[in-house]
Amino acid sequence: MLARVDEVARWAQSSSVWPLTMGLACCAIEMMTVTSSEYDIARLGSEVFRSSPRQADLMIVSGRVAQKMGPVVKRLYDQMADPKWVISMGACASSGGIFDNYAIIQGVDTIIPVDVYVPGCPPTPDGLLYAVNLIQQQIREGGRGGIVASA
Amino acid sequence: MPSTQTPPIAGSAIDPPSLRPAIDDAVIERVAPSELRARLESLKRDGYAMLLDLGAVDYLQRSPRFDVVYHLLKLAPKRAGVKEIGAPARLRVLCGVEENERLPSVMDLWRSADWAEREVYDLFGLVFEGHADLRRIQMPHDWEGHPLRKDYPMRGPARERSPRPAFANKSNVVAGTPPSGRTLEALQEQVKRARES
Repeated sequence: MLARVDEVARWAQSSSVWPLTMGLACCAIEMMTVTSSEYDIARLGSEVFRSSPRQADLMIVSGRVAQKMGPVVKRLYDQMADPKWVISMGACASSGGIFDNYAIIQGVDTIIPVDVYVPGCPPTPDGLLYAVNLIQQQIREGGRGGIVASA
Repeated sequence: MPSTQTPPIAGSAIDPPSLRPAIDDAVIERVAPSELRARLESLKRDGYAMLLDLGAVDYLQRSPRFDVVYHLLKLAPKRAGVKEIGAPARLRVLCGVEENERLPSVMDLWRSADWAEREVYDLFGLVFEGHADLRRIQMPHDWEGHPLRKDYPMRGPARERSPRPAFANKSNVVAGTPPSGRTLEALQEQVKRARES
């Protein structure tokens, strides 16, 4: 009986992954595109971008994280209620990308835990949708962390 | 093909007014630090009401090492008449300074100098005397060093030792330039090689 309730809870959770309204750089443009009718993230139940971290389940780190932005991103992550998930979108968020310099944090996973990495510069909206799919899969199966969203 | 605005590395005197063409109607003049304040004050009285930008350039092996550049704008004096409209006067004032030299702040003349001087201080480490609030503006407040100086390690002081991937050295990075830091030595080496050949 308990197992069944657990499954229902996971189904509900995975069908309403609400992302945080947070755009850091050019990847954010692609992130906004997934809400359009062309890609329609609403099919996954994730169209509700929340402006408060307290109502968000998913943080999409969409772009390079500057050294000065690092503490802000960390703080927003801390303010999100558990359970929470993180997508590192694109080369810059995942590794610093082409910005191998003093100003950019070399991978957002040095400050917050990442569940799915999306490769690309920028990734296609499909890539991001696939990453949200993987997050849903993780929630349903109860796993966490460190997946690279590659075909 | 290199831009005509790029100063040649092996050139002896890197002096922008002698090398670069004036951009359209922009007049360029060079002023000594001791005369800077008086000159700018007289320009302000002369009608240069707007300080468009204030920046700095690091020439590293030149003496004086830095140029501080003031971009000034004087709008057309008359409001009426089509001919007067769109004929503003532009002026760039260059001032060469050494690393430890101090420049007078012009914050009281143009309010736009406030953040611009903070930016120059933050990124080049040049101090403006008389500025009311000379704090860092772009980098975190506890940052060490001034990133736009040419001898600043590109990857930051903390990550200096980590190796740069091999492919990163192949693109537009001049051969012989070390991965990060020690840029001065590399430039001197380049100048030496250019003179020998």
